[in-house]
Amino acid sequence: MSIYKSAINKPVTTVLVFVAVIVIGLFCYRQLPIDQFPEMDPPYITVMTTYAGASASEIETNVTKLLENSLNSVDGLKSITSQSKDNLSMVLLEFEWGLDLDEVINDIRSYVDMAKNNLPDGCSTPFILKFSSSAMPIAQYAITADESYAGLDKILNDELLPVLNQVDGIGNLTLSGTPERYIYVEVDQQKLDAYGISLETISNMIGANNLNMSSGTVKMPKEQYQMEVRSEYVESSEIADIVVTTTMDGRQVFVRDIATIRDTIKDLSLDEKFNSRDAVRLIVSKQTGANTVKICRELEKEINKAAKMLPTDVHIEKVYDSADDIQQSISSLEESILYALLFVVLVVLFFLGKWRAALIISLTIPISLIVAFIYLKFVDSSLNIISLCSLSVAIGMVVDDAIVVLENITKHISRGSSPREAAIYATNEVWVSVIATTLVIAAVFIPMTMLSGIAGIMFKELGWIVTIVVSTSTITAITLTPMLCSKLLKARPVHVDENGRLVEDDLHTGWYQKYIVGFLNKVDVWYAKALQACLRHKALTLAFCFLLFFASLIPLASGQIGTDFMQEGDNGRITVNVELQLGTRIDETLKTARKLEARFCELVPEIRLISTSAGSNDDAGVSAIFSSTTNYKISMRITCSKKNERERGIFEIAEVLREEMAKYPEIVSFQAQTSGGMGGGGTSVEVEIYGYDFDETNRVAEQIRQRIQENVPGARDIINSRDKDRVELMVNLDKEKLARHGLTSGTVATYLRNRVNGVTAGLLKDDGDEYYIVVRLKEENRNSITSIEDISIPAPTGQNIKLSEVATIGEYWTPPTITRKSRQRYLTLMVTPYRTSLGDLAAAIEQEIGQIDIPNGITYRLAGNFEDQQESFADMGTLMLLIIMLVYIVMASQFESFAKPAIIMFAIPFALTGVIAALLITGTTLDIIGALGIIMLVGIVVKNGIVLVDYINLLRDRGHELSEAIAMAGASRLRPVLMTAFTTILGMLPMALSRGEGSEMWHPLGIVVMGGLLVSTIITLIVVPVMYALMSRHGERDKEEKNRKNFIFMQIADDRKPSNK
Amino acid sequence: MKAVFIIFNQANTSHIEFMLDELKINGFTFFEQVQGRGSHTGEPRRGTHSWPEMNSAVITVVEDEKVEELLSCVHKLDLRNKDVGIRAFVWNVEQTV
Repeated sequence: MSIYKSAINKPVTTVLVFVAVIVIGLFCYRQLPIDQFPEMDPPYITVMTTYAGASASEIETNVTKLLENSLNSVDGLKSITSQSKDNLSMVLLEFEWGLDLDEVINDIRSYVDMAKNNLPDGCSTPFILKFSSSAMPIAQYAITADESYAGLDKILNDELLPVLNQVDGIGNLTLSGTPERYIYVEVDQQKLDAYGISLETISNMIGANNLNMSSGTVKMPKEQYQMEVRSEYVESSEIADIVVTTTMDGRQVFVRDIATIRDTIKDLSLDEKFNSRDAVRLIVSKQTGANTVKICRELEKEINKAAKMLPTDVHIEKVYDSADDIQQSISSLEESILYALLFVVLVVLFFLGKWRAALIISLTIPISLIVAFIYLKFVDSSLNIISLCSLSVAIGMVVDDAIVVLENITKHISRGSSPREAAIYATNEVWVSVIATTLVIAAVFIPMTMLSGIAGIMFKELGWIVTIVVSTSTITAITLTPMLCSKLLKARPVHVDENGRLVEDDLHTGWYQKYIVGFLNKVDVWYAKALQACLRHKALTLAFCFLLFFASLIPLASGQIGTDFMQEGDNGRITVNVELQLGTRIDETLKTARKLEARFCELVPEIRLISTSAGSNDDAGVSAIFSSTTNYKISMRITCSKKNERERGIFEIAEVLREEMAKYPEIVSFQAQTSGGMGGGGTSVEVEIYGYDFDETNRVAEQIRQRIQENVPGARDIINSRDKDRVELMVNLDKEKLARHGLTSGTVATYLRNRVNGVTAGLLKDDGDEYYIVVRLKEENRNSITSIEDISIPAPTGQNIKLSEVATIGEYWTPPTITRKSRQRYLTLMVTPYRTSLGDLAAAIEQEIGQIDIPNGITYRLAGNFEDQQESFADMGTLMLLIIMLVYIVMASQFESFAKPAIIMFAIPFALTGVIAALLITGTTLDIIGALGIIMLVGIVVKNGIVLVDYINLLRDRGHELSEAIAMAGASRLRPVLMTAFTTILGMLPMALSRGEGSEMWHPLGIVVMGGLLVSTIITLIVVPVMYALMSRHGERDKEEKNRKNFIFMQIADDRKPSNK
Repeated sequence: MKAVFIIFNQANTSHIEFMLDELKINGFTFFEQVQGRGSHTGEPRRGTHSWPEMNSAVITVVEDEKVEELLSCVHKLDLRNKDVGIRAFVWNVEQTV
C-alpha cells in the first residue's frame, strides 16, 4: 500500500508520527547551543622553535628555511608563512578549511622530526601549536575605581575572580592593567660609591633578613615546643632599618641611608583607561565547545552579584560581550523567519481564500523547519547565523509541494468525490512530479555541501538544511497534507431540488469571491491575452527579451556592480590604532590618548564607551598575544550605541574619527577599523611584496602606500605589516678591559640588568599575598646614556668600576622581524575599502602599482579577502556549472527529453537580468552570499518552468493542438506558478529588509533571490511558452505519421477468402 | 440471472459500495485497477502521466428483476457528475455452479 493511502487510512498514526517529530524537534531545539557560526576550527598551525642567541637572519637561514623546506610538502597545505626574530622562529601553516587537523598535526610532526637532525645544536625542539578559536576572548569587562584603584588587584583576585571561575565552561580569566603592589628599593649610585658597596649587597641583606625558619624542637621536662626564627617583614617600612654594612669606623649603614623605599604600585608601562578613568580590563575566554551565550549570561549574573560586595567606588562595565552580538543577530533572524512565515501564510490565504486550505499548507512549514533542528542536534551543530538563514531561505519553498497536492485534491472534491477518496486519488496523480521537483532542489543544494574552503564551511550547513527541510516538506505533502485534506476539507455543498435535480449551492458570495477571485480572474484573462499576442509574434518577443538580457549585462560589463567578499557587518564597534613618533615616552602618549578620547566623544555623541590601552605590559599573560601596544602606540576600543538607535552607520563614524586623527601632527599613522574580531567579516585587499632586500622592499612598499593614499579615493587604513625599525641602546663591551678586571660579558650583563631592571630581593607577605621587593637604581641614575655609563660594576677585585671604563653605549637600529611567505621574504600592505567595493579597490590598486617602476627581484601580488573572494567566486562558478548539469539531468530524466529541459533552462539567464537590476537599484555589491543566491535561483527558477512545461506536455499528449495546449496550460498553471513564486519572494523579503544587527551579511541573498525570481517568473510565463512553441514545431508534428510507419502490419493486404456470411 | 459489469472512476468506489449495500446485493467481484477509455465522451483512464486517473470495476450477478434498479442507481450516480464517469453493461449468465 502506498504511503499516502496508509496515511489517509490511519489518520491517528499519521498525526502522532508528526507530533512525535515535532516533540523530538522541539526537544533538540531546546538543547541546541547558540553560536555565531558553525563550529569551525581555523586551519592554522604554528611551528615555533627557539634558538637562543641567534639573530633574526641567522634564525632565518638555519632554522626557518630548513623547517619551511621540510613542511612545504605537508598534505593540504595552502600557504606557508614565517617570522624569524631574534632567538625565535615561527612558521605558520595555513590549510584548507575543513581538514582534519589532528591528522595534519601528525603529518607535521613527522616532517618536523625529519628536519630536526639538520637544525643547529642548541636549538630547541620545534613546538607545534594549534590555533583554537576558543582561545579568542568571548567577553571583556572594564573595572574602574577611584580610591580603591591601588588595591584593585587584590580586591579583584580575592573577591571577583574566584566567584567567576566557578562559572561552568569558563576558560581563562585574565586581568590586564591591574595595579600590582611593588616595593621598590631605589638606590642612589653616588652613595653606593661613597660607601663602596654594591647593589647586590643591599639586595642580599634585604633578602637575608626576611625569613622564617624552624630551629628545631625544644624539650623541657614536661613539655615540648617547636622553635622558630621569625624575622619576615610585616611592613615595608622595616626594610629601611636593615643594616647593609658597617663602615671601617664602626658606623652602621642602613638601607635608608643609601636608598628610598617606595611601597607603591608597579611602574606604569601599560595604561588602561575606560571612558578616561583608571581601569582594569577583565578578559574572558571559554573552553572549547562551550556554549558562548550561556557562559556570558552566567558570567554577567555572577558579576552583578559580586559587584555588590565590592567597594562602592568600583564599577564593572561591559566593554564587549560576544553573546550580545550572537543573540542580536539570532533574534533578528528569528524575527525574519516569523515574518517570512506570516507572509507565506498570507500569500496562500490570498490565492486559496479558504482558511482550512491555508491552515493545511501552513502546517507543513513548522514541521519541515523543526526537522532541521533534529539534524543540527545530530551533527552537533548549533543555532547560528548560517542555520537560521537556511531556514529562512527554505520557508518559501516548503509550501510548494503541499500547494500542488492540495490543489489537485480540491479539484477532485469539486467534482463531487468524497474528501477521503479525492485525497487518495488526487495524491496518486501528482506524487511523482512532486518528488521530481524536490529532486531539482536537491540537485542544487547537495552540491553546495561539497564546496571546499571557507565558502564550503559556510554553505555546507545551508546545503544540508535546505535539502532536508525541502525533503521533509515533500514527505509531509504526500502524507500529512492528504490526510488533513480528507478530514478537514468539505465536499462542495449540493442539494437535490424538488424536481429531483442536482443543484449546487451558490458559493459566489462573500467579499473574497467578489474582489480577489474577480481580480485573479482578470489577471488570468490578461495573461491569456498577453500570451496569445506573444505567441503570434514569437520573433519580436524573443528579440525583446534578448535585448533586455543584453542591456542588463551592460552595468555588469561597465563595472557598475562592485564585487565584495562579504558585506561588512555593523556591530557598533571600532578599533582605533594610533602610532606616534617612535620612542615617544608613555606619558606623552597618554596625553595624546586623553586628548583623542575627549575629541571623539565630542564629535561622535553615539559613543557609549571608549576603552583605551597604551604601553605594554611586559609580563602580561595570554592577552598580550592579542594586543601589540608599545609605548608609542595607543589602541582604543570604541563601542557605539546599537545599530537601530543611531542614524550614522559605523563606517561613517569611523570616517569621522579618521578625519579627526589626520589633524594631529604628532600622529604618525592611524587606523579606525570597524571589524571587531571574529565574525565581523572585515574586508581588505592585501598587497604582498616579495623581495630579499629589506631596504628595497620597504622603499617599494612606501611608494605604493603613498600612491594608494594619494590616488585611490576609497582606500583607508593602510597598514604595513613590517614594523618600523626600532632604536635600541647597545652596550659594546671591551672584552680585553673586562678580562683585566676579572669580569666577563655575562657578569656585566647581569649586573647591568640588576641595576636598571632591578633585582628581586624577596617577597613581602601581607594577608596571604606576596609582593615583590625590587632593588634597583633610582630613576635619575638610569634615565640617560651618561647616567648609564656612570653605573658602577663591582669587580671581583673588590673595587667598583664605572661602565664607561669597559664599554661604550651607542644607539642602533634593531633588524626587523623577517617575515616570509612561500619561502620568500615579503611584507604586506593592508588596505581597507571605504564606500567602494573590494573588487574596485583591488583594480584601482593594481592600476596604481602598474605605474610604479618595480625593481628587478621584487614581485607583488594582491591577496587578503580579495584573494579569498577570487577563489570563492571561482569555486562558485564551478559549482554553478555542476548544478546546472545536475538540474538538467534531473529534468531530462523526468521529461524523457533532451529538448524540454533546455526550454526551461532558457529562463535562467533572465534571472541574472533581475539580479543585476536588483543589485543596481539597491546599490548592493555582489559578494559570495549574493553569488549563493544566484546559484539558488537556478533551482527556484527552473521549478516554475517545470510546472508549466509539464502541463503543456500533458495537454499535448492528450491530443490538444500545440498553441491550444500552450494557452490552456498557461491559463491553468498561472496561479500555481504565481503562488509558488510569491511565497518564495515574500519569504525572502524580511531577509532583504531586515535592519537588525548582523543582517548586512544576508541582505544580498534576499535582494538577489527576490530580483532574480521576480524577473524570471515573468519571463518564464512568456518566454518558456514561446520557446516551447518554437522548438516543438520540429519533430512532434509528424508524430502520427511516424507512428503509422511503426505499425506497418496495417498495410498488409488481407488475403482471407471472403466469408460466406 | 444477469451479470452486471460496472466500470467507474476510482473516486466513486465508496459510492458503489454504498449502492450495492443499499440494494442488498451481496455478491460481487471487484477489480481495483482497470484501465480504459470511453467510446464517446469518456476520458481515458490509463494511470499514465497524461491520463493519471484509474478506473475500478465490479461484476455482480443479480436476479433479473434487480437489474433495472441497479442500472437506475448507476445512472443517478452518473448524473451526479458526468466528468467522473461510470458505465454499466449487462449480459446473460448461461450457467452457474
